[in-house]
Amino acid sequence: MAHSLSLLAAVGLTVAIAAQEPTDWWAWRPLQRPAVPAVADAGWAANDLDRFVLAGLEAAGLQPSASADKRTLLRRATLDLTGLLPTGAETEAFLADTAPDAFDKVIERLLASPQYGVKWARHWLDVVRFAETDGYERDRQKPFIWRYRDWVVDAFNGDLPWGRFLHAQLAGDELPAPTVGDLVATGYYRLGIWDDEPTDPEQARYDDLDGIADTTARAMLGISMGCARCHDHKRDPIPTRDYYSFLSFFENIRPTDHQAKAVPADGAVERHANEVSAFATARQQIVARLRGAAANAWGQLSAARRVSIGAQADAGVVARYTADRDNPKTLHDTIGERHGAVHGQVVSVAGKSGLAMRFDGDDRVELPRLVEGSFTVSFQVRSDHRGRGHAGDTRWFSGDGLVDGEVSGAVADWGVAWHSDGRVVAGTGDPETFLASPPGFHDGRWHHVAFTRDQSTGRIALYVDGEPMGEAEGGKQLLSAPPKLVLGGLQPGGHGFRGDLDEVAFHDRALSADEVAALALELPGGVHAPAVLGAAPADADGRSALSAFGDLRALKRPRLDTVQILAVAEQGREAPDGFVRVRGNVHAKGPQVAPGFPAILRPPAPQIEAVRPGLQSSGRRTALAKWITAPDNPLTWRVLANRLWQHHFGRGLVRSSNDFGKLGDQPTHPELLDWLAVELLQRGQSLKSMHRLILSSKAWQMASSPVPAAAAIDPRNDRFWRFDRRRMTAEELRDAILQVDGSLSLQLGGPSVFPPLPAEVLATSSRPEDAWGHSTPEQAARRSLYVHVKRSLQEPVLAVFDQADTDNSCPVRFATVQPTQALILMNGDFAQARARAFAERLLREAPDLPARIRLGLRLCWQREATAEEVARYETLVTGLREFGRDEAAALQRCCLIWINTNEFAFVD
Amino acid sequence: MAKPRNTFCGRTRREFLWQSGACFPALGMLDLLGRDGLLPAASGERPMAPRKPHHAPKARAVIFLFMYGGPSHVDTFDYKPKLYPLDGKTIDIDTKGRGGTKKQGRVVGPKWNFRQHGQCGKWVSDLFPHVGRCVDDLAFVHSMYADSPLHGSAMLMMNSGRILSGAPCLGSWATYALGSENENLPGFVVMLDRTGGPISGAKNWSSGFMPALYQGTVLRSQGEPILDLALPEGMTLAEQRRLLDALHAQNAAHLAERADDTDLAARMESYELAARMQVHAPEAIELANESAATRGLYGLDDPRTEDFGRKCLLARRLVERGVRFVQVYSGGNHNDANWDAHGDLVFNHEKHAGATDRPIAGLLADLKQRGLLESTIVVWGGEFGRQPTAEYAEGTGRDHNSAGFTMWLAGGGIPGGVSVGTTDELGNRAVERPFHVKNLHATILHQLGMDPNRLSFFFNGLDQKLVGPEGAQPIHELI
Repeated sequence: MAHSLSLLAAVGLTVAIAAQEPTDWWAWRPLQRPAVPAVADAGWAANDLDRFVLAGLEAAGLQPSASADKRTLLRRATLDLTGLLPTGAETEAFLADTAPDAFDKVIERLLASPQYGVKWARHWLDVVRFAETDGYERDRQKPFIWRYRDWVVDAFNGDLPWGRFLHAQLAGDELPAPTVGDLVATGYYRLGIWDDEPTDPEQARYDDLDGIADTTARAMLGISMGCARCHDHKRDPIPTRDYYSFLSFFENIRPTDHQAKAVPADGAVERHANEVSAFATARQQIVARLRGAAANAWGQLSAARRVSIGAQADAGVVARYTADRDNPKTLHDTIGERHGAVHGQVVSVAGKSGLAMRFDGDDRVELPRLVEGSFTVSFQVRSDHRGRGHAGDTRWFSGDGLVDGEVSGAVADWGVAWHSDGRVVAGTGDPETFLASPPGFHDGRWHHVAFTRDQSTGRIALYVDGEPMGEAEGGKQLLSAPPKLVLGGLQPGGHGFRGDLDEVAFHDRALSADEVAALALELPGGVHAPAVLGAAPADADGRSALSAFGDLRALKRPRLDTVQILAVAEQGREAPDGFVRVRGNVHAKGPQVAPGFPAILRPPAPQIEAVRPGLQSSGRRTALAKWITAPDNPLTWRVLANRLWQHHFGRGLVRSSNDFGKLGDQPTHPELLDWLAVELLQRGQSLKSMHRLILSSKAWQMASSPVPAAAAIDPRNDRFWRFDRRRMTAEELRDAILQVDGSLSLQLGGPSVFPPLPAEVLATSSRPEDAWGHSTPEQAARRSLYVHVKRSLQEPVLAVFDQADTDNSCPVRFATVQPTQALILMNGDFAQARARAFAERLLREAPDLPARIRLGLRLCWQREATAEEVARYETLVTGLREFGRDEAAALQRCCLIWINTNEFAFVD
Repeated sequence: MAKPRNTFCGRTRREFLWQSGACFPALGMLDLLGRDGLLPAASGERPMAPRKPHHAPKARAVIFLFMYGGPSHVDTFDYKPKLYPLDGKTIDIDTKGRGGTKKQGRVVGPKWNFRQHGQCGKWVSDLFPHVGRCVDDLAFVHSMYADSPLHGSAMLMMNSGRILSGAPCLGSWATYALGSENENLPGFVVMLDRTGGPISGAKNWSSGFMPALYQGTVLRSQGEPILDLALPEGMTLAEQRRLLDALHAQNAAHLAERADDTDLAARMESYELAARMQVHAPEAIELANESAATRGLYGLDDPRTEDFGRKCLLARRLVERGVRFVQVYSGGNHNDANWDAHGDLVFNHEKHAGATDRPIAGLLADLKQRGLLESTIVVWGGEFGRQPTAEYAEGTGRDHNSAGFTMWLAGGGIPGGVSVGTTDELGNRAVERPFHVKNLHATILHQLGMDPNRLSFFFNGLDQKLVGPEGAQPIHELI
């Protein structure tokens, strides 16, 4: 070791590795419950966990520290389990409770609080590198990925067995009957960095897969696999072949398009089916009534009146195409000269009446621009194709064109399209405004579609079979961008329609809902039917027809309750062949590999079984999930037991909690780790049960005070002779500050929030003006877990206090001390605003200065201030008069000091 | 080599702290504690204290002038006389850029004349008349290449050596390796363009998997230089001192019962360091004492050059005060707000070269006259260069080119008047002595006294290096 700096650099090389057979490594051995050791001081231990700790202490000639006092325990436990400070009432209640199980009750209360999930979800989110954006140039948002965060919170709160927790993330979509939660859990695969403009797309795809494989191996198995991507692992016997075998579990995953998809809410499909059936019956009855009444009323009109109405039929119609063609290249306008030119092979088939046009996906008919202000376009459509586009998408120009006036790059346009899952969508540009029908019209029957647009109000409406599908307010300008309109396709560049069109008509005004219904139901008088019936003799039939129109308008089609999620999907039931990629170069294919688990673990061969019929998925991930969550997997349970210990004691029994291999640290207490892992399995993989076990141990309850004699023997506290004091995490600190000033919101779940950022921080973004969102002050005071996680722009208070870097799995947070932390907590906008709110709270809640000081300190430290301390701040308040501070202003400065104290920021 | 893993003695204090994670937070302050006698000297190496390099260094500081967006090498420093007569002609040529892979392109002849400068007779375009006069101090690398011709990944590569996000930047490596010579200022400083940051923002000065201690600090050239450095409105230093004293008294009482906890003491000291920063950082950016001649040298008298000139002058002041790594961005935001000349090459490059030519020459001259150039490496370049052909059917805009481009370095023991490597005769690809970005990084680390193939940080089961697991050699002609 020639040089001091190479010492720094060579952590990995300073490992002493015993000559062991590969499978003899402690972490890869089968899990067995070790015998509980005998201890000299048997009376000290509260449970078997303590006996393991004590045996280690006794062997080293150490004594366990005394238990911490009740206040310390309560503060420690509350922060540990919920990330919050205990309230005044909670502190008083615990101090007053002298029952032997007083602390047990505290543990139960904390575990029952939903804030427990908020705290513990964060640990997992660090490990899986949760972020809400992609990184890179555009750093786009991952839509609805916050649902994954909420799912993790709920899983912890619901004490989801760990195996189930991991399985849902790995393969929730492949379960026989997945819930929405199971699908949301697979958002796990969409958390990483993602270059939307890669220079080498194939390489980038394997970089993404590497991120998934590597994170899975580290997070769930404590295996550091990444190096084997390019060469056989130097320390752990993981050959490159094993890496690519492991990778191939994921190789069938469809590359992300980062589009959310709408899935039915739990139970919604059944509910919806019932509602739709009731709706159909009700509608049929009204339609029958309307038809009967309209026929009667029509019959009562004089013959002359009927003739005059017939003559009006085409008034307001700009063009009408019945599709009864005699020329294959021309679509005849039956009321004027605005004939259409046929491109491709539009053949004639039997239509709704007479003939119809059949489009096969690359045909279209071009029409002059018939309308641009107010208009209605209506037609009959029939198809058994689902239509292109994504289910969550309502942009007409991403579907198959029916009637299109879209011009790429222009905004003053409009269109109607046949979209994913047999939906009809329509919309106008500038601003883009879209409407969509429910899915399911690809039933091979004729459907009447109408789209109306009123220029003066910008209102647009879409109807299928006379039934309103929705309306919205769009722009009010002329939609004059398209020089031509297209039937049966989108403007060049877009997708063509596959199906039949008939009876296309353009009106120069937005028809009313009743007029559209009359058209669709083919009532006598057509579009004029409502007006005619309204003007008809006021007899019972006329009125009944009008009231039926009203009933029809009032009847709302039930909506399928859907949830927008970002989840995983595979490319088909058969996965592609996998290959070793020589030296990590994706273009250099080596030997073929099949999915397989790392051989070091002497694993079984993966059992890959077909997933449920219809699902385009290979079942590979299910096989992986089953192996990882099997009770005899040697790593999964050790890794989890270690993480639990880490987050309760400040460090894992294995300090390198993502790496149980030979480059990682060895456990300080190997038997204890195995015992905990077995215990975990026997307790039904319940984390809450393990929290109870750990928090009720004497080991966890030890004081953190100095013991020079012990420190001399074990300076690093390897043997746990005391509890290690720790600084609050970034989230705990920010939340605690909001908590003491009374503004912290404990609201759970939902989209992330955007606390205000200083302009200086926004200026570091390449688009400072839209780099960050805006939240109300109440929302900005949500718990830190809910602050938006943007890869290229971190909230500065969280960032400076060592929030996890989100580009890599973060098993252990750094805990740095930097002057920038002092600057942000003394001078920063957040600290200043919080100190002001804190002082206002004290002014409100306590009668005089000494009482305010006592209350403030109690809120921060969960103890009574000493007389000396009260006097110190009274003196300070007096002294600050020199700087022109009245009592309120001086109190605010006291508050600022208090949230900066070590006693506040550290956990004893 | 072999040392037991689980003993403190086997490692330096710093490694021990990082490995231990949450239970030992005192990183930044150990050095100060050591200095102030709060910690016994034996207990720790000071993380940000200056440290001995691997070998005798030629340079102790770096100023990286980052021409974000990608300046065109054939219009600036890579003279290609054969390109002029081809202007407007469509030729067969393999290119890869934003517009994808192409086999043909319409040549855009260089839009500026080149002339020879200096003793070395270097050809420099009329975009950089002032820098042209400095060529005898500059070493040009004409045969640079990078892994990506797209901004997002290319920026990450030039700054962190990888196209994947998540690795520490060159400045982080420099401060990690060498510490800082002035603890009252950040060791790694970034100054951004007034139009905004580059794309991917803070990822370009991130410490990645290293502690945040080593990430770049954004320094503003006017107003409050560092986030939250300024006192809150209405507060004076005297009043703040009163508050800090009260805080100290409270913390001291708290510490009394926890006397062995160095983290608590370190955090106490961090408030004093912050207070000193409040004084030193504004002093560092205060230009009042700079003479009119100096200000003129940097172009502070011309609205066109004033902004970048101020940043260059600040860079000198920071280096003078012991800052290890300063990065100055020319260009920010998107489109023509930086060097990304897709549309009108002349408009774009006149604008950015016009804003930077005089300040850069001023910086070089000023460093030289103060004897600082000997120990300061100045690096000029973007994340890539530009193609010899047009991007679109019309216009003079050029697409990105990572297959061949020019960077230059000066100072820090790097010989001047030198040109290394060539691109082909159209400037399209590096052909002779091609150098990867990693070779550039290796060169800079080498001049700082570090062996680029030994400097590593253990993370994710690997001794991570700036130059990657394969390693990279410095550019021989430059060291």
